[in-house]
Amino acid sequence: MAVFDTPQAAFGALRPVCVQLTRAQTMENVRQLQAHLAGVSGAALQELQEYVLFPLRFALRMPGPKQERLVQSLVQCISSVLAATCVKKQELLQELFSELCTCLAPPPSSGQAAPLSEELKLAVIQALHTLMHSAYGDVILSLYQPSSLPLLGFAVSLLLTLAEQEKAKQIKISALECLQVLVLQCDCQEHQHLDEDEEQQCGDLFASFLPGISIALSRVIAGDIKQGHKTTVSAIRLFYQIVGLVMADKQLARIPKSKEKLLVEHSRVSELMIHRGPDWTKSTAEKLSLLLHKVVESSSVHPHWKVRLELVELVHHLLRNCSQSLVDSFSHLLKALVGLVNDENSEVQSRCNTVLQEIAEQRIVAQNRALADVLSENLHSLATALPRLMNSQDDMGKVSTLSLLLGYLKLLGPKINIVLNSVSHLQRLSKALVQVLELDVTDVKIVEARRSEPPGPLQQGVQKGRCQKKYFRFFTEEKVFQLLQQVCRVLGYYGNLYLLVDHFMGLYSESGLYRKQAAMILNELVMGAAGVGVDFLQEREVPLNVDDLKGSVTSILDEYMDQANWYLVTSVDTEESSPEQSEQRLGLAVRAGGVSSDVLLLSSEPRVTTRTMNSNIWQICIQLEGVGCFAAVLGKEFQLLLLSALYPVLEKAGDRTLLISETALGTLADICEACGYSSVQCLINENSDYLVNGISLNLRQLEYQPRASQVLDTMLKNSDASLLPLVEDVIQDVLSALDQSYNNQASTFLRVLHSVMTALVQWFGVPSAEEHQQRQTDKGQSRTRSQGQWEVTITSQEVEQFFLDYVSQKKIAEGDLPHLEEEADEVSLAKPEPNSNTEGEAPMPSHAQLARDVMERCIHLLSDGSLRVRLKVLDVLELCVTVLHPHENHLLPMAHRVWPALVTRLISDDPLAVLRAFKVLCTLAQTCGDFLRQRFSRDVLPKLTSSLLSQAPVSARAGPVYSHTLAFKLQLAVLQGLGSLCERLDMGESDLNKVADACLIYLSAKQPVKLQEAAQSVFLHLMHVDPDSTWLLLSEVCCPEGYEPPHPSLRPVKLGGMGRPRNELTDNVLLLLQRLQQLECTGPRTSTQQASPS
Amino acid sequence: MALPPPDPQFVLRGTSAPVHALHFSCGGPEPDIPLLFSGSENGFIHVWNLKTHRVDTALDGHGRKSVYCVETMGGKDRLLSQGRDQRICLWDLAEGRTSVTDSVFTEHVGFCRCSLLKVAQGRWLMAMAARSVEEVQILELPSKTSVCTLKPEVGAKLGMPMCLKLWQVSCGSQPVLLAGYEDGSVVLWNVSMGKALSQLTCHQEPVMSLDFDSEKAKGISGSSEKVLSIWSLNEQQNLQVYKTHELVNAGISDITIRPDKKILATAGWDHRIRIFGWKKLKPLAVLDYHTATVHCVSFSDHSSPQHRLLAAGSKDQRISVWSIYAHT
Repeated sequence: MAVFDTPQAAFGALRPVCVQLTRAQTMENVRQLQAHLAGVSGAALQELQEYVLFPLRFALRMPGPKQERLVQSLVQCISSVLAATCVKKQELLQELFSELCTCLAPPPSSGQAAPLSEELKLAVIQALHTLMHSAYGDVILSLYQPSSLPLLGFAVSLLLTLAEQEKAKQIKISALECLQVLVLQCDCQEHQHLDEDEEQQCGDLFASFLPGISIALSRVIAGDIKQGHKTTVSAIRLFYQIVGLVMADKQLARIPKSKEKLLVEHSRVSELMIHRGPDWTKSTAEKLSLLLHKVVESSSVHPHWKVRLELVELVHHLLRNCSQSLVDSFSHLLKALVGLVNDENSEVQSRCNTVLQEIAEQRIVAQNRALADVLSENLHSLATALPRLMNSQDDMGKVSTLSLLLGYLKLLGPKINIVLNSVSHLQRLSKALVQVLELDVTDVKIVEARRSEPPGPLQQGVQKGRCQKKYFRFFTEEKVFQLLQQVCRVLGYYGNLYLLVDHFMGLYSESGLYRKQAAMILNELVMGAAGVGVDFLQEREVPLNVDDLKGSVTSILDEYMDQANWYLVTSVDTEESSPEQSEQRLGLAVRAGGVSSDVLLLSSEPRVTTRTMNSNIWQICIQLEGVGCFAAVLGKEFQLLLLSALYPVLEKAGDRTLLISETALGTLADICEACGYSSVQCLINENSDYLVNGISLNLRQLEYQPRASQVLDTMLKNSDASLLPLVEDVIQDVLSALDQSYNNQASTFLRVLHSVMTALVQWFGVPSAEEHQQRQTDKGQSRTRSQGQWEVTITSQEVEQFFLDYVSQKKIAEGDLPHLEEEADEVSLAKPEPNSNTEGEAPMPSHAQLARDVMERCIHLLSDGSLRVRLKVLDVLELCVTVLHPHENHLLPMAHRVWPALVTRLISDDPLAVLRAFKVLCTLAQTCGDFLRQRFSRDVLPKLTSSLLSQAPVSARAGPVYSHTLAFKLQLAVLQGLGSLCERLDMGESDLNKVADACLIYLSAKQPVKLQEAAQSVFLHLMHVDPDSTWLLLSEVCCPEGYEPPHPSLRPVKLGGMGRPRNELTDNVLLLLQRLQQLECTGPRTSTQQASPS
Repeated sequence: MALPPPDPQFVLRGTSAPVHALHFSCGGPEPDIPLLFSGSENGFIHVWNLKTHRVDTALDGHGRKSVYCVETMGGKDRLLSQGRDQRICLWDLAEGRTSVTDSVFTEHVGFCRCSLLKVAQGRWLMAMAARSVEEVQILELPSKTSVCTLKPEVGAKLGMPMCLKLWQVSCGSQPVLLAGYEDGSVVLWNVSMGKALSQLTCHQEPVMSLDFDSEKAKGISGSSEKVLSIWSLNEQQNLQVYKTHELVNAGISDITIRPDKKILATAGWDHRIRIFGWKKLKPLAVLDYHTATVHCVSFSDHSSPQHRLLAAGSKDQRISVWSIYAHT
């Protein structure tokens, strides 16, 4: 309702009220004035400012006691006038200021603040606040002359007392805000900026109040939490503002050496003035340091996040303005700041991070040696306490301790090297890290977990090498590990890599206790040095030198892959290595010298504890992970290191311990990615020459042979035929190594030979095998065709012709034409197969040559003492035969040489071996059927049938336990193998009869079920070879139906099995006959049973 | 107990033919990659990168006929090779080129390796067996002008030259040639005068290889027998037998004294490489790796001693590289 726009009108309206108030100082009158003021515009009021203020001031100055409520309303009225106008006269400002302050002044007698009402206090404070805002420029500066020092001091102490001692939050906060205005640090934007000189002047002035203000504020800050966070926040803000102003480095730098002489009239005042010389600065800083410590301590754990946020601001402000004057306090301040990085409140966190970032970017630390010293001192004490803290703290505590450590390192940035160059610092730090990173090696599972056999080829896309989850002794929280990782990486990023690598390599070789941790740290250091996954605040000064990195990596790799560190006892299996071998290994280690002394101790203990093995496994894994890291870091540059690194890694990929082999596979994947290979196969193929070199050299040492063969194994499984020339070369080495040590290493090498031959079959064998099958079926078909030709309609002539043919055939068979028989014998050997004709001349391809060489060794090993070996040999032999299939001219002589040993396997060996031997025979029979048929029926068959016959009654009588006996297994093996063999060998009739006779008794229901089934299988095979005679034989035993002769001139068919009572054989025979019937119906052949002679 | 002989540091595979000649080129400053040249029976010269242990290039210049001598002329960019196609080829390998710049037709059908001696910057003398039996011809390279032909006296019946070694006492002095002949004798020739200075019968069988240490004025030769013969050259330029060393197995196909004259290596028909101390011919090691006759041995010219290598090429198609006595 601004009705009075002009001063005249306003004057007219206000005059009566003012006069009234001057006459009688009552609340009523004040209220009236206030009411009228509301109707006057700002501009008009400005003109009448002093006029209106006069009665109010007059009333305040009235001597004698006054009503508190009157004073309050007077003050409120003044403040409303001031709010609408500005103070343009210095005198008015000073007078008003002092008058307002006097309102709060205690009665001169008591030292206490006047027991005034809270409303009054608040009103006065607000009036003061308004007053300060209504004065501008020079006017307000006039208040900050040395002459007004006492007045200011009075106001400051008043306000401080209020802030400290009042109960009401509102008053506290207002007092603090008012103080803030008073020290010219108001938050609002209206104030003009002070120039440097003015600031300097204010600084000088406020220096006098600093002790009082800071002590009082620190008490407020550390005060009861119940005072509310706002109070604390404003107190902190005021604290750092005043400290930042008075102790500003910029101002202190301009302080002249000696105190300026002030004008004479201010002599008393000048005593109050403080000269901020170096001495003063120093002592003040010391005192402030104590206060800051107190402030930091109480507010860094304050439950309200805004307080902690303000603390961050405090550190920020002081670091920016007073980094030199308050350097001693920064130990606390930085600790607080760094500690707050992991505050639970995200706002505090992010602010903290930006502040840190800013500090780093502005290189406050880097340019300030003293600050760096403070930080490194902090670091040192923290590192000293670290092991203890890690032992005693819970995981949360560890997180905060470690983030503190990390923060220091990050802040130090490039200055880290100052710390690292001091031996004691480095030692403390590294010991602490090593201690914290101690692994938990009690888990037995790690040692027990075995890779499932047999290892298949490495998967195409093995998942990228992810670090294995590790278990630590002193913590379980993943976050702790991540922090430790970051600590190491930051060290690597900024630190001198050579120095660090040297130091940790020293620890690595110093003791087995530190080895794993040191390796872990080294891996992270290298990652950090390359800048991989480092969370840093400022870029390092010197960019990474790739050659340095490569040099470090090479030396670490050499150490990792040193025999003493790479080949550790990880299992107690003696399967692969006999005791004498490990003795030899031990001997070698002795020779290797002192470096490996503690490893030696481990291996020389008669029994290696699980704990040691677990530890060893972890060490290998960590080293493998390291190799992966190095590859990732060096990228293509790692290619050169493959020469030495690939072989050991591949060796570990074939390790029996699950953890190791998995880690190694991960490493391989890392290497692939780093060097740009699309798959592990690709990696192995491209670098097979390096592998072959390693394999061949390792084969020369007896004790390394198992490992070398493992690598070869892996290599073969993951490569293709293009590798043949190299493989060939190394297989020669294997064979010669095998020749040197048939006794010890046979099983090791057989595994290799097995994989070699598997690979060869895979690379070369398949097409020829198919071709052969084709040939077989062709043969079969032509035979059936010749049999089935006259099958269309049966006339009596044809039947007659059949008999005539039969008789003449029989005569021939019985020896009527002796010269023919002789010829037949030779034909089987001499007559070359049509398609082997062409191959006879051509030189043997190298893979066949290889197969022949391997087969040669197999002959020797066939009679090895160990069943395992014999079984393996039989497997290898079968593969050799498969590879040699297309080269009959070479296969036959070999078969001839293998035969005697193979016969022994068939006749008198463990059932398992017998079964495998049958398999080999079957494979062999595919090509050399003719060659084998005779020998088989001469050398093997009689013994087999007679043993079957003699054993039959035993097994028929036996109880259920019998199936666990060797005899049973042997019977089973023979029965299982015999059928397919007969078929493959295309055996003659008399032999087939022998087989059938021997097996028939096993069709008895009295026999164990398994034997019955096996015997059935024999007959099923026999059906394929000669359905007719099988039918006859079976029907002789049991014949369910009668047969009508096709022609009345023939006698009725009378079979032995007709009309027989049901006996033990019946079930199986009927079953077989049924199968035979099915076979006849579905198969291409047609039955000839009607024509069979009775 | 003496240490067991070491294993090869690494083995180079992939020549796919017996290896007859080896030559290192490792003396270059740091960024240069150390190389090993190998000549094999299928006529290829392989350039091995000793950092990656792989073939950088394969040079084909002798019509698939056996290459039995490979030498560098100066740096690694100029190469000389001698093959059974009776040609000596000069190669330009700079900047990745692989071309034959020049060749000499020797008309000699034996196995005698030529010998190269640098006489001035960009000038070499080369001794090679010539067309007619018993003759040795000296050429200047790269101009290919014949310096002289060394012909034994009539009726000397030395047989074909088997091995040659050109040397001079110091730079700029008279070049001298040592030649081993089919009848087992070693002859010292004055190249500039073209006449024999001394003759010594060292062996009953043809001299297969010889090497000479001009500092100690002592040389060593091997033949198909079981004996190594060490001879010295006195001030009157006379060759004298200094001592002989009996071997277990007969047949030496190559002998090389290490450039620092401390040890020497022999390539044996018994598949073994033998290392001797050069001073007293003390047997130091028998390196057993190859599975066939070793054809050639060569020491590397690394500038720092601890990197020095020994390479041996064998009929088993492998080249074994050893690091032995590197620190002595």
